[in-house]
Amino acid sequence: MTPSLSDYKRWTLQGIETLPMSSGDWMIDRRLAALERFEALGFPDRRSEAWRYTSVEGLLKQGFVAPANTSQSDQDDGIRNHLLPLATVGRLVFIDGQFIEAHSDYPSGGVRVSSLKAAMATGDRKVLQAVGSLSGLGEDGFAALNLAGFHDGAVIQVAQDVRLDGPLEILHLSSSRAEGRKLPTRHLILMERGSQAELIERFVSEDQMSCYFNHQVVEISLAEQARLNHKRIQMESRQAYHLSDLHIALQSKASYHGVMAAIGGCWSRTFISNRFQQPDAHCELDGLYLVDDGQLADFHLDVDHQVASCSSRENFKGLLRGSGRAVFDGLIQVGKGAQKSEAHLHNANLMLSRQAEVDTKPQLMILADDVVCSHGTSVGQLDDQAIFYLRSRGLDEQRARALLCQGFLAEIVDKFEHQALIELLNRRMNFVGSTE
Amino acid sequence: MLAIKNLTASVDGKEILRGVALQVKAGEVHAIMGPNGSGKSTLAHILSGRDGYTVTGGEVRYLGEDLLQLEVEERAQQGVFLAMQYPVELPGVNNMSFLRESINAIRRARGEAEIDTLSFMKQVKEKARQVKLDEKLLKRSVNAGFSGGEKKRNEILQMAMLEPKLAILDETDSGLDIDALRTVADGVNRLRTAERGMIVVTHYQRLLDYIQPDKVHVLANGRIVRSGGKDLALELEARGYGWLLEEAAA
Repeated sequence: MTPSLSDYKRWTLQGIETLPMSSGDWMIDRRLAALERFEALGFPDRRSEAWRYTSVEGLLKQGFVAPANTSQSDQDDGIRNHLLPLATVGRLVFIDGQFIEAHSDYPSGGVRVSSLKAAMATGDRKVLQAVGSLSGLGEDGFAALNLAGFHDGAVIQVAQDVRLDGPLEILHLSSSRAEGRKLPTRHLILMERGSQAELIERFVSEDQMSCYFNHQVVEISLAEQARLNHKRIQMESRQAYHLSDLHIALQSKASYHGVMAAIGGCWSRTFISNRFQQPDAHCELDGLYLVDDGQLADFHLDVDHQVASCSSRENFKGLLRGSGRAVFDGLIQVGKGAQKSEAHLHNANLMLSRQAEVDTKPQLMILADDVVCSHGTSVGQLDDQAIFYLRSRGLDEQRARALLCQGFLAEIVDKFEHQALIELLNRRMNFVGSTE
Repeated sequence: MLAIKNLTASVDGKEILRGVALQVKAGEVHAIMGPNGSGKSTLAHILSGRDGYTVTGGEVRYLGEDLLQLEVEERAQQGVFLAMQYPVELPGVNNMSFLRESINAIRRARGEAEIDTLSFMKQVKEKARQVKLDEKLLKRSVNAGFSGGEKKRNEILQMAMLEPKLAILDETDSGLDIDALRTVADGVNRLRTAERGMIVVTHYQRLLDYIQPDKVHVLANGRIVRSGGKDLALELEARGYGWLLEEAAA
């Protein structure tokens, strides 16, 4: 039976009681305010434009009311199987939504890394005040519920003018113990003035059968001239639900480059909100999605140009196989005062079967008159002539198809830069391209 | 090497080839000429296995085997190469990795070891230089954004790397300026060996100034209406195709 809103409320309140309390009343008040908002909003449905093509019924029926058990795990959890040869300067490991210090490596020098749970335990007011500062109490019921009930998350603060030598990694592993549970986490990324960092986030699962709900809210704040390159690869269990909300705020001359891949899960949605708070900032978003039978991948972009002279570029590409479904809803708004804005939005889809379905909706809303903006979308199939060309050079048909799929996504895959990540994605694509 | 007997074929029910016969021996270069719509490209496509054509009769034997029974990639693996009139652009597929993968697919099919990186690199650079293909284009996506001439050079580079037994060049001269034409022809001539057969399909005699054929055939209305030595090409250049068509009709 689908749980009621009050079931969610009850479980959330119970969950809050298990959390460290020295954070004081301030955080508790905030959680309760979010819970009230959740009750007022309820869960979104298809009547709301943002959720028109993405049903949450299946997710709600699963009844992910109880958060995952938060007892500290001292097991290995097969974490080693998921490590990649990346020259990281630090790694934060979360298992079932909880920070596991034993598996993590802290970076040294100029970057402060901790967990939200630790911040709650010590009552770190500066950190706790930043929680929700970009997301607000929540634009929908899911977001509000996350703020009310989140258990843990990463806090990364890169100090002024610090440039990290290598990437930081956040690895999210879901174990079989997450079955039937929700994993509400939040991350706070605070880039101080002139700092530069690269962050790799990966979502992996111990197996491909576990059904759980990973919900994450990430707040990223870039001060003047700060730069963040943020790579995210979602490879959840094929039965899992994944929801990510990214809130990014950029000050003058700051730059954010996000590269996203949605591959796993039966249902995944990524919402990215980008706010230019001061002029001359730049945002780039690249993404790819691969869906197969029984999978839905949804990307929602909300790029808001309200100040002048900022630029943004978004390029998302999807490969759809079997009865896979995808939704792309990209909105760029350019406000009246945002003269000299530049914004380009593109979405392309390659359909490998007749049953696959994509709803794509790139939108530009421009109120300023001195801007350079473009948007476009395409939905196509593999080119028979290209397949013939490859076969005429000795490649079998499966390999020809796989190579063309790989080629289609190459411009996005290349943005993952690290060989280990590129190979990880190409391996998956070989599989997708080859077997239909 | 190649024996085509009484080959008939149609596209969407329309008969295009009406009984083509042709014998190509190892070491020979055959030119197939003819007016537009005569079936030249159809013949080249059928030999390489492109779909969209229905073979209604006749047979094609290649090294003693029934060529038409082979899949496209099997033909390539057994040494058939088609240099295309319109090489396809493959965005995101790296030219050099594609070439290497192609060589290895063919080697694997023949039970040979894969090519090692060093000799591959050496060969590809040397051969790219020979066909005057800018080395930068090796690192780009296959044919993507290449000029017409660059695409044709890339075809000849592939041919040189894959070392086919039977090479079919479909209107390789179309869209080429005289310098590119010469380079492409040089590339082809360099590949002439006693073991390799070639079929050069062309509308104009021009290419044959540079690639001297052993035999010239004129294809018209789906049949070879005249065969001869290289002088036949010169005659066609002077007189056009009209007189042959009239003769054939008579």
